[in-house]
Amino acid sequence: MSRILKFNLNGNPAEVKVGEADTLLEALREGLAFTSPKCGCNHGDCGACTVIVNGDAVKSCTVIALTAEGKNVWTVDGLAKGGKLHPVQKAFHEYGAPQCGYCTPGMVMAAVAFLNRHPSLSSLTEEEVKDALSGNLCRCGGYKKYAQAVIAAARGDFGPLPEQEGSGKNV
Amino acid sequence: MREYEYHAPESFGRLFELASADGVESRFLAGGTDLTPRISAERNQIPRYKKPPLRILYLGALGLDSVTDAGEDVTIGALCTLSSLLENAVVKAKLPALHEALTEMAGVSIRNTATIGGNIMNASPAADSVPALLVLGTECTLRSASGERRVALAEFFTEPGKTVAKPGEVLVSVTVKAGRGGSSFKKLGRRKAETLSVVNAAAYVELRDGVCEAVRVAVGSAAPTVVRCADTERALVGRKIGEDSIRAASSLVEKAISPIDDIRASAWYRGRVAPTVVARAISAAAERKRG
Repeated sequence: MSRILKFNLNGNPAEVKVGEADTLLEALREGLAFTSPKCGCNHGDCGACTVIVNGDAVKSCTVIALTAEGKNVWTVDGLAKGGKLHPVQKAFHEYGAPQCGYCTPGMVMAAVAFLNRHPSLSSLTEEEVKDALSGNLCRCGGYKKYAQAVIAAARGDFGPLPEQEGSGKNV
Repeated sequence: MREYEYHAPESFGRLFELASADGVESRFLAGGTDLTPRISAERNQIPRYKKPPLRILYLGALGLDSVTDAGEDVTIGALCTLSSLLENAVVKAKLPALHEALTEMAGVSIRNTATIGGNIMNASPAADSVPALLVLGTECTLRSASGERRVALAEFFTEPGKTVAKPGEVLVSVTVKAGRGGSSFKKLGRRKAETLSVVNAAAYVELRDGVCEAVRVAVGSAAPTVVRCADTERALVGRKIGEDSIRAASSLVEKAISPIDDIRASAWYRGRVAPTVVARAISAAAERKRG
């Protein structure tokens, strides 16, 4: 049977027809054609499907879509504003972090959720960044540049981090 | 293909009514980090025989996500996410072994979704929360249409994936003893983050003048369920806690375990590393008490 899932996607109200056992990843990709979250392993291991739900980075393949009813979901599609990339996206681009790019949308969302939640960005350590991205596998092995780019974004090298976008705290 | 139904009941009355229906298989859904991929895998397969519809009963609307500090005891709602417990000050101060286990479990994005109740009810022998909860002394509260019952965690698991919970019984909370001793959890995985344990272990130690007065040791991922190590415990009680006594006692862990070969490690390797992981947990627990 199918049901209608109503939630907020990237700050906009969204409605989508979902199967009752569909994952949030399927609802986004197949129901709404938001293909930025990737279906890498469909097992909660690889992190390519990471999105932000109510401010937390989650692996959307581990979430039954209907449990997201009424929640605020952000994908990488909602980060750029007025044609300008989010500082994390800019940092990844400038640092040449993505190689094949398959893990990148998940990496971006994990990094954004981490930076939004971090209490003091000035004292952020590389270990913390590695921990925050530990659920995201990069088979090109580009971990180092991803970590460096996140630290640069936290430092403000790519402009101030926007308050609300993707944080989902009140949006 | 199999049919699936989803419900998010807001009362236990409705939950048990839905769970007791004939002709459907019911599964309780907490965070879903184990169940959802399992359902996805099932949906990708051509079924060999007709299965009854699967009724997914989401527990998230029942208000089971609070932590209650009652002094001696801490009661943790089954739907508390691992992230919320990791940030919880009561858990950090009173249940250090559990806090330490939480830091080692999966990665941030899984901890944001996964729940403590789900980790227990999944009944994996490699569940990281279980050794910690076991040495701290934990009772599980199961609720069904006919009321509540409490089961000691030590008697909760029967085999991999199986618990004493009957169909229609739902885990609502766990009550954990704070204790006056020190506790710790150690894990050996194939990589640092986002990994299942090759062997894990937890210890709870009460000391007086450096002498062990009480000790509880549990090891996981080395037997069909997480097990207590009675011989190791007996070898420590009444002894001075030091490197030698810990090493000697930890070597007795092999009597408690029956490891198997699987994709993560061989039985031989598990048998070799289990005493080391146990020793690390005991030392850290004793150290925590001193410090």
